[in-house]
Amino acid sequence: MKLELQKGSRSRILAAIVLIAMAVFVVRLFYLQIIQHSHYVEVANSEQIKRLTIPAKRGVIYALDGNTPVPLAMNQTIYTVFADPQTVENDDKIIDVLKRVAGGNLRPDLKTLLNKVDSRYQILATRITRTQADKIKAENLAGIGFQEGSQRVYPEGGLAAQTLGFVDYSGIGRYGVEGAQNDKLTGTDGLLQSVTDIRDVPLTIGNKNINQPAVNGKNIVLTIDSNVQSYAEQALAEGLKRTGATRGSVLVMNPQTGQVMAMANLPSYKPATFNTVSDPEVFNNPIVSEPYEPGSVIKTLTMTAGIEKNAVSPTATYVNTDHIRVEDSVISNATLGQTGTITFQHALNWSLNTGFVTVLERLGDGSHVTRQARDTLYSYFHDKFRLGQLTGIEVSGESPGIIIPPTDVQGGAVRYATMAFGQGMNTTMIQVASAFSAIVSGGVYHSPTVLAGEVKPDGTYVPDKIEDGMQIVSKSAADQVREMTVKGRSDFFGYTDKQGYMIGGKTGTSQVPKDGGYSKTESIGSYVGFGGDTTAKYVIMVQVSGKDRALQGARDAQPIFTDISNWMIDYLKLQPRG
Amino acid sequence: MSYQRTQYFNSRRSSSWSRNQNTVAFVSQVKLGPVAHTIMVALLITVLGLIYLTQATRATGYDYAAQKVDSQIAELNTQKSDLDIENARLTALETIKSSAVASTMTTPEHTSYVSQ
Repeated sequence: MKLELQKGSRSRILAAIVLIAMAVFVVRLFYLQIIQHSHYVEVANSEQIKRLTIPAKRGVIYALDGNTPVPLAMNQTIYTVFADPQTVENDDKIIDVLKRVAGGNLRPDLKTLLNKVDSRYQILATRITRTQADKIKAENLAGIGFQEGSQRVYPEGGLAAQTLGFVDYSGIGRYGVEGAQNDKLTGTDGLLQSVTDIRDVPLTIGNKNINQPAVNGKNIVLTIDSNVQSYAEQALAEGLKRTGATRGSVLVMNPQTGQVMAMANLPSYKPATFNTVSDPEVFNNPIVSEPYEPGSVIKTLTMTAGIEKNAVSPTATYVNTDHIRVEDSVISNATLGQTGTITFQHALNWSLNTGFVTVLERLGDGSHVTRQARDTLYSYFHDKFRLGQLTGIEVSGESPGIIIPPTDVQGGAVRYATMAFGQGMNTTMIQVASAFSAIVSGGVYHSPTVLAGEVKPDGTYVPDKIEDGMQIVSKSAADQVREMTVKGRSDFFGYTDKQGYMIGGKTGTSQVPKDGGYSKTESIGSYVGFGGDTTAKYVIMVQVSGKDRALQGARDAQPIFTDISNWMIDYLKLQPRG
Repeated sequence: MSYQRTQYFNSRRSSSWSRNQNTVAFVSQVKLGPVAHTIMVALLITVLGLIYLTQATRATGYDYAAQKVDSQIAELNTQKSDLDIENARLTALETIKSSAVASTMTTPEHTSYVSQ
């Protein structure tokens, strides 16, 4: 018997319904799997594939302890404790544990935060340490979670704060080396893309996994010697207390390499608590960022130009009347009475302005501050000694200062006469100390630097190659001026120095420009000097100032130099000559 | 499974076979129909699938082990960092300056030098 579905029979209708249903399924599946394929693959990937950023560690900053790197700025893992108010179970226990473990890092009014049931995320404590986090985790508190982060820590406290700078809350380096070397210190974040399970554990299944490791920031070693820095800060603090100055700076550098061994400034701050600083001015490093009229310390540079150009010599003489006329202005000495025919060594010893205006005149026609004299002085100050331009030191916020060229309408004879003894120009301490270093190191200029090298990931210290310096003035001229500073110091302050060493220097007392003239009640005291055995081993520059404080180089800044210089001789284990 | 001779004999001359080659062919008496074939293929696919699943599960098991090791490494690195920081703090100049040893140190009254 042949079975056939009768037309209009129930079986036939059922078959048709099943066929239609199947067709619907097929069409729907075709739509979902073929036409909407890309969309659903994307949706699946977004749920199954996690992209995790692997944060790069910020490079550690080291100072030197002799030749050994010691950490100045490190990274510490910290945690933020948060609560999901909808899932917390025992408010009182949570508050009790947090108060017991993370007392000082708690947000106020925890009870209110825990009762915000319309929220799923409430921060209860910030910046807690791993040990504290472990103790809280051990309590198994329901609804409590932890977020990992990193913060800078400073084992040496505020040592070299303005050279170091700090890292702000968004992880960006500000000021100092942190600011200037931010790109080098930051590194590059890595990427982990993987199919994960419900607990976010990465699985190896899938073909879209990416594991790109983070490249950590470079570990920088500074030329700053932690011992020298510490002593310089201590000596400066004592000096300010002694003199009544409210601000001061000390720069110590190696004249043979340009490496900065210490940059101390007061007032200062602690990078770990940068957020509590009320005056952001304190973040700057005045040694590189605050140009000022350097005053008489510049006379060593003027003398170098005069000697190299054979215009003067240490034993050459001029007639000092304590006053000298330049065009319509009369320039006087700060110290009166050393009148008569005197040598330029005598003029340097007594810091007589007239002597150095005379040097400038002799760079021209001998009796006037001519254009030729001004051109020569400008070429020495700006082009050779590099005053009025950036030194390139690796600390943020460096200011170039200004040396007005003779071509400028303001670069006339009177300005250049005052520039010969350090007025009418703006320079930073780092510029002056670098120029002075060139003089005491035989005329070789080394660009100042704070970078000594790098600590590799395996912990080995690799020092940078020390760049060759540039011979900017003749060794003969430089050595003569160096000896002049040694004689000048030994005549006035030699009794305060350790005997048997080569120590020289020059005082500076700068008037402070105010209301279009110079303040009668305020001046800046400075001293730049060097020390060594047979060669110069260190250059120290000191500056002290204060509002309405008439501070002097010889009286106020020079003793700080002496203090540090005598300590440096012991620290560097220098042996006395002869 | 057994085999038996076929009922037919082909003359050697009528075949194209060469010398010393077998002139008798064996045919299995067991006949597999389409259903059996389908079941066998399905079984084969199932076995292969199970092997794949076993391997994938084993690989995933390694992922958990690797994750555990990674966590331990991270934990140990964090502990090392904390110890480095503690070490740096304990050997910091400020700590040394205020130590009991430093407080008993004195400045030498005289220093002698040996010529080099």
